[in-house]
Amino acid sequence: MIPYFVALFLLGLPLMWIEWTIGRFGGGFGHSTAPGMFHTLWEKNKFIKYFGVIGIFGPIVIFIYYIYIESWLLGYSFFALFGKYNACTTEQTMSAFLQGYQGLVHNEHFNGIGIAYLFFLLTFLANIVIIYLGISKGIERVCEYGLPILFVFAIIIMVRVLSLGAPDPAKPDWNVVNGLGYLWNPQWSALKDAKVWLAAAGQIFFTLSCGIGVILTYASYLTKNDDVALSGLTASATNEFAEVILGGSIVIPAAFAFFGPVAINEIALGGAFNLGFVTMPLVLQKMAFGNILGFMWFMLLFIAGVTSSISLAQPAVAFLEDEFNLSRKQATLILAIAGFILCQPAIFFLGKGAVDEMDFWGGTFCLVLFATIETILFGWVFGMDKAWTEMHVGSDITIPRIYRFIIKYITPAFLLFILGFWFSQEWIPTILLRNVPAENFWFIIGVRLMLVGFFVVLVFMVWHVWKRRRRAQL
Amino acid sequence: MTLAGWIFLVVSWLVILLLFAFSLYRTLRSKDDSR
Repeated sequence: MIPYFVALFLLGLPLMWIEWTIGRFGGGFGHSTAPGMFHTLWEKNKFIKYFGVIGIFGPIVIFIYYIYIESWLLGYSFFALFGKYNACTTEQTMSAFLQGYQGLVHNEHFNGIGIAYLFFLLTFLANIVIIYLGISKGIERVCEYGLPILFVFAIIIMVRVLSLGAPDPAKPDWNVVNGLGYLWNPQWSALKDAKVWLAAAGQIFFTLSCGIGVILTYASYLTKNDDVALSGLTASATNEFAEVILGGSIVIPAAFAFFGPVAINEIALGGAFNLGFVTMPLVLQKMAFGNILGFMWFMLLFIAGVTSSISLAQPAVAFLEDEFNLSRKQATLILAIAGFILCQPAIFFLGKGAVDEMDFWGGTFCLVLFATIETILFGWVFGMDKAWTEMHVGSDITIPRIYRFIIKYITPAFLLFILGFWFSQEWIPTILLRNVPAENFWFIIGVRLMLVGFFVVLVFMVWHVWKRRRRAQL
Repeated sequence: MTLAGWIFLVVSWLVILLLFAFSLYRTLRSKDDSR
């Protein structure tokens, strides 16, 4: 948790302020996506707008696999309510249930991917309808009702978990307090491990939606005197409340209390899928009113997921609307068709590593690269004096002056360290597909070609828009 | 849970709660002012 908080204050908060400010600044020139905003920040550079393509490409790549995982949450909320996985009482049987649902194996629970595909269609349709309804009628309305429900559900489950004590009287050490200790006891030796710092930075990126391009688009809808300093702080603080205080008091402490100190390490190493779709259903089943709590838990995550996925689609829709003068209906239709086609590899080639591949490029590489570019643009090209003044226009609070130094030097240095470390440790084996099993090789090549093709199409679209604009000026 | 763990938890929760309360208060206040 120590690297997590360091990353929050040196990466997360500065990036929030940077993105809110760039977004509002670019919005003032009629741009709501990164290509136009980057061009506004550095007008003399002809190529900077193409780096902004990452701010549309990245969120869509995340969108196409995220929406499928989001649909599992909807499915599991119904399975919990109707007790479909009640017979699965061990990690092995719950894993088999998940694999059957994903269509990876045929078993007594599922006879193919049909049910998963049905929930995917429902989730995809719900997302498209909300996106079509727009910012105020769709996204704001969902958040207005969805987020308070999410907080109420989370507080109920948190109270239930914190009152568990030691569920098995024969094992008094397997209790919630020790579960909290697993999360909070400082491990000083781990601070020397660079990978721990990278994992913490990655978590901050994902949790605050930094480096994706989504905040830029939302902030572009602000007026010149709307407060970006306070908005950035409020968004970060609310997120930390939900993630650290609510989330941190539910999953790991409950899993520790039911499975003990040895199994919790394996669970933590098993990754988010295992934690979310294997461990949590088992934990919730062991509680009184487990089916109801399970329904609330998965529905809570589904609502949270919907608010994220509609945000991920927003830059692409805004790009089509603003730069191609399309109506909301036309832009949403293009997104729906393209998104639906692009989602298929994530669904049918999940077992071949398609989602992991998309997650690496869209959800890891692009985030860090995009954040590095925008931080350098903001602090060094736009200039710290102008940037600092712009951050405080209409602001109700004054950002501590130390952040002038952090934004200019520490945040870019931190980001360059992450890029450098990954380049030396992971990129070359990843680019050369050294860690890909032979049977998955051509599937991964196919996913990469799809992603490259999509990126090239976006670059061409940006080139076309600027060419048309130049002609109009002549 | 160790003493260091408790201290870390309490301090972190306090910082987050204070930031959350402060930002919420200022946001609501600025909304009232704009009316």
